[in-house]
Amino acid sequence: MTIETSMLSLRKVYFIYSLLITSLFLLFILDLFLGSVSLNAADVWKALFSGADGHLETIIFKFRLPKAITALVVGIGLSLSGLQMQTVFRNPMAGPDVMGITSGASLGVAFVILGFSSDLSPDVLKGFGNWILVAASWAGAGAIMAVILFISARIKDIMTILILGIMLSSGISALVIIMQYFSSESLLKAYVIWTMGSLGNLTSDQLIVLVISVAAGIILSFASSKMLNALLLGENYAGSIGLNVKFARIVIFSCTSILAGSVTAFCGPVGFIGIAVPHIARIIFRSSDHKILIPATVFLGGSVMLISDIISQLPGSGKVLPLNAVTSLIGIPVVVLVILRNRKYSGIY
Amino acid sequence: MGTNEKIVTIDALDIGYKTGRSEKVILSGLAATALKSELIAVIGRNGAGKSTLLRTILGIQPSLGGKIMYEGRDISDYSRIELARKAGYISTEHVRAANMSVYDLVALGRFPYTSWTGRIDRDNHLKIVESIKDAGMESMSSRYVGELSDGERQRAMIARLLSQDTGLMIMDEPTAFLDIGSKFEILHLLNNLAKTGGKTIIFSTHDLQMAIGQADKIWLLTDKKLIEGAPEDLMIQGEFEHIFDSSTVKYNSDHGTFSFRSDEKGGIFIEGEGILRHWTEKAIDRIGYTVSKDKTDPYIIVPSGNRKNWCLVKNKMTMEFSSIFDLISRINNR
Repeated sequence: MTIETSMLSLRKVYFIYSLLITSLFLLFILDLFLGSVSLNAADVWKALFSGADGHLETIIFKFRLPKAITALVVGIGLSLSGLQMQTVFRNPMAGPDVMGITSGASLGVAFVILGFSSDLSPDVLKGFGNWILVAASWAGAGAIMAVILFISARIKDIMTILILGIMLSSGISALVIIMQYFSSESLLKAYVIWTMGSLGNLTSDQLIVLVISVAAGIILSFASSKMLNALLLGENYAGSIGLNVKFARIVIFSCTSILAGSVTAFCGPVGFIGIAVPHIARIIFRSSDHKILIPATVFLGGSVMLISDIISQLPGSGKVLPLNAVTSLIGIPVVVLVILRNRKYSGIY
Repeated sequence: MGTNEKIVTIDALDIGYKTGRSEKVILSGLAATALKSELIAVIGRNGAGKSTLLRTILGIQPSLGGKIMYEGRDISDYSRIELARKAGYISTEHVRAANMSVYDLVALGRFPYTSWTGRIDRDNHLKIVESIKDAGMESMSSRYVGELSDGERQRAMIARLLSQDTGLMIMDEPTAFLDIGSKFEILHLLNNLAKTGGKTIIFSTHDLQMAIGQADKIWLLTDKKLIEGAPEDLMIQGEFEHIFDSSTVKYNSDHGTFSFRSDEKGGIFIEGEGILRHWTEKAIDRIGYTVSKDKTDPYIIVPSGNRKNWCLVKNKMTMEFSSIFDLISRINNR
């Protein structure tokens, strides 16, 4: 057979996967070492396997390990939701933060934190409270998704939809500001801290909720890769090759809402990871096949978020940068690169 | 065409758009048949409903009434996947994914045949490779769709359609935006697919001359109805003039060409034979004169025998020209 096939290059794909997994693993370990208190390898090893209960163990198990796991899960969740949105909207600039999905989730969270009860501030949230928070966030994200779906069924022009998404998120921000105005000082503080984005404020119960939700989202993403591939052709073609476009949209949008909503509920609106990581995956693999891109996005999303976390700790300095500032500085150059390349090709997603 | 197997039959079909509760009917009461191995050109003015008709036949746009039968069974009896195995589609919309290789694009044609994971097994792979080859794209299977020329991209789209393995192929203006060479290559490919591959192809086009020359059948969409027939029959019945004749454009049913009415400047008689006469006639036609059967005042003598030059006889004076260009310039300047 003379024709070069994607089957042959599969070996190359697996090779790059193994590199990505290795670097993900190394970054995860590095994230355990680095922080306001510098630890060496022997300390971490002792803490992980000695079973003792000292100062060192507290740092590792109560702070560093949960935070590293959170970073991993947040990176994966945001990146996958970005990948899905870029494909469904056929727009390289789509992402949970751009289209207003994160704002929708914020509104849900604002209702819970500011609106209902003083017992439900993030520090006190326990047990079912976490699920209420995350469900409110899903509902907010899902509601915005539904609005955008409704609009995009009538307006085909993707730029118009993007602009409407921006308008929508500005409108929601305005609502949240009004809610802030009428809420008490302590709740307001809790909410403002939440909006800065953080990986380190999760209780172990919250972490479990987050991991379960994102795991569900990952499984759903893998299951929808065939549908996503068909949607690359646009809806008319996707329909003509036998895709149930309505069903596909519902599955993928639910998946996106779960992923972006859960992350936003616990870690605040984290910017630019959702747009940038799928593009890094595309640049590395030069492929549009979601069977290749979804695992790639999972590995890269985790890695990029771990890097962001390591940088935001300013290792050895004792100071911590806001997470959102770091993810923006990492994500924006990628987005700019994509915009510049986009002028050359007709589209890059 | 060996068989008269009916692939698609439409009957009393109403097409148009549904928005909310209101319906906008574009055409109604359409009836036509597509047989196996037929190459059918859908012709009509802009906005006549060509694309709507194609999408309705394909089942991706709901009809507003009437019947569409695929191989004798009503279209509504087919599942989405069954339908995708019967009919494939190329629209005027470009596939914009720049990181998609030709192989990946063609692989999407296997959508109705793969499991929910979309895994391409050996059989699917072989079908993809065969489709790429049949569309003449074997040297380009690892190229990216966004980097192809218009003609190559159309071939890639046809390869995708081939891998979808449908008896019916529906294409919306497959030769629009192509240069003349690619246009004929694509048309040649379609002809081959119909004649040797047994495919039924329904395509819309604005290129009337091409449609008349290549199609087995024409579906002509006029203001109210669909007229079905062999191109020559429609020509004889004057159906083309019917829709294309307007105040500025005149359709010449002898040649299958268009000319601008305002340019008709008079007749010129041409004396001579053969290929030189043919091209002299063309030139005269191009600048807005008709070829007269009577000897008019200015007339042209085409080179023959020892004479290498064109002669223009005007007011009993004879002028000689070494090329049609010089001759035409003179006539234009009077």
